[in-house]
Amino acid sequence: MSGYQLSIEDYSKQNSGKIYKKIIFYTALISIIFLSVYFIIILDTDWHRIGSGKAIIEQLSYFIGLDASIMPLLIKPAFETFLMACLGTMLGLLLSLPVAWLGAKNVTPFGMFSFGIARFLMTISRSVHEIIWALIFVGAVGLGALPGILALAFRSVGFISKIISESIEGADKKPIEAIKAAGGSGFDVMYYGIIPQILPTVIGTIIFEWDINIRRSAVMGLVGAGGLGLAFFRQMHMSNYPGVTTVILFIVGLVVLGEILSHFLRKRII
Amino acid sequence: MNEIYKRNNAKNFIYISLFFFVIYLCFVYLGIDFERFFSALGRFGNLIATRYYPVDMPYALEPGYLSSILDSIQMGYLGLIIGVIIASVLAYFAASNITPSKKVGYVIGKFFIIFSRSVHETIWTILFVTIVGFGMLAGTMALTMYCIGFFGKLFSEELENVDMKLVETIRSNGANEMQVFAFGVWPQVKTAFTGILIYTWDVCFRASTIIGFFGAGGMGWYLKRNVLQLEYARTSAIIVSIIVLVIFSEALSAYMRDKIYKETQ
Repeated sequence: MSGYQLSIEDYSKQNSGKIYKKIIFYTALISIIFLSVYFIIILDTDWHRIGSGKAIIEQLSYFIGLDASIMPLLIKPAFETFLMACLGTMLGLLLSLPVAWLGAKNVTPFGMFSFGIARFLMTISRSVHEIIWALIFVGAVGLGALPGILALAFRSVGFISKIISESIEGADKKPIEAIKAAGGSGFDVMYYGIIPQILPTVIGTIIFEWDINIRRSAVMGLVGAGGLGLAFFRQMHMSNYPGVTTVILFIVGLVVLGEILSHFLRKRII
Repeated sequence: MNEIYKRNNAKNFIYISLFFFVIYLCFVYLGIDFERFFSALGRFGNLIATRYYPVDMPYALEPGYLSSILDSIQMGYLGLIIGVIIASVLAYFAASNITPSKKVGYVIGKFFIIFSRSVHETIWTILFVTIVGFGMLAGTMALTMYCIGFFGKLFSEELENVDMKLVETIRSNGANEMQVFAFGVWPQVKTAFTGILIYTWDVCFRASTIIGFFGAGGMGWYLKRNVLQLEYARTSAIIVSIIVLVIFSEALSAYMRDKIYKETQ
């Protein structure tokens, strides 16, 4: 029985190293907070420009109220934003199919080579922010809704193809082997063996990504790609603050609508 | 058999052509030039090859730019800390099973989380820049709002999934709300809290690299300057450095989350 007893000294000896490590870790985290506060709030902020609390409240009060006169003008951009998200997600799905095919370990055609390329493309797509994608595409194809759609598509490729390739890797092998044994080609294996298995996951992912893309497409206009972002940009530059509030309410309404829709759609599928 | 097959085929054909027709209508509505759409990939490749390609990597190693990376990290960190503190409180109110007041607190918590989630971080940045002026304070506030939305949603969902039996046991023993949270709820969500916290840091850092584009300091400010000056080589250097940093932060957060889940299991 004595073997199971653990005296306090032993226990504290076992854990003292751990505790010191923990203390150092948390002290470091907290000192970084103080450092950031010092650099951001004390050194970098121009308190004179912000003024007193009264000035901030005055500035905030400009935003109160709605501009009813621009509401009819916002319906078309809102619809544009919605369409941009839909088309961007569709194009993203189309582009991510080959990437997912290359990026799944069990179906990739050229081994590590094509697998590496696909993983690289996925990482690039996810690491570059949608604003940067939009900037690049505005440079490539000009202003309008098209660069927004392309930017959303390229941004979605990483996430969609990662989920698809992971679900291909996790697919049940029995039907695949059965099709192979019956003499099916690689295409047959893909079409009859893998796709029926991964379809629910993939559709759920696409709906999720579509939901996120609505939020993203609302800011594409800030760098010249149309939609509600452009309306926001205009109102901001005209210093029409009630108009800004109206546009933001439209964006929130659209995003919440998308979230509700995606919630019900995913529930119906799963 | 053959007839059914034929009929199905005809049906499918109609559906597919209808689908493409709707997409065509969308394109017309959005005023997209088809020639531009089909040449977009070529134009993209051409732009990358001719303008962005010779990456001016030494620019990304200049001390001014390197210190802006530090600024971005600090903004992300401070925004994360403040945002998580506020979001934890909001998530506690917005979790339908443990919320102290179902009528008022739940609605307010849920509303704030949804509202700060719906507005993109760049729009938050623009709003805060108009209120407090250019600089890192506006960026920190924008990232705070972003973290409230992101962390609040994930954490409130985690809180809604706790085992209610344990909570009820503690409550039926006469514990007050604070004790119920400390001994019934918190031990169950501790690991998830840390995991979500690290994940939020990763996402927040990713956002902090870009918000400077709208006047909030950090790397984004350099990006904006070089985009406006049409310095493509420098822009691509900044984009490459952002990619490298994001990959690094992603790997770090994945490693730390893995370690924490292993330690607790």
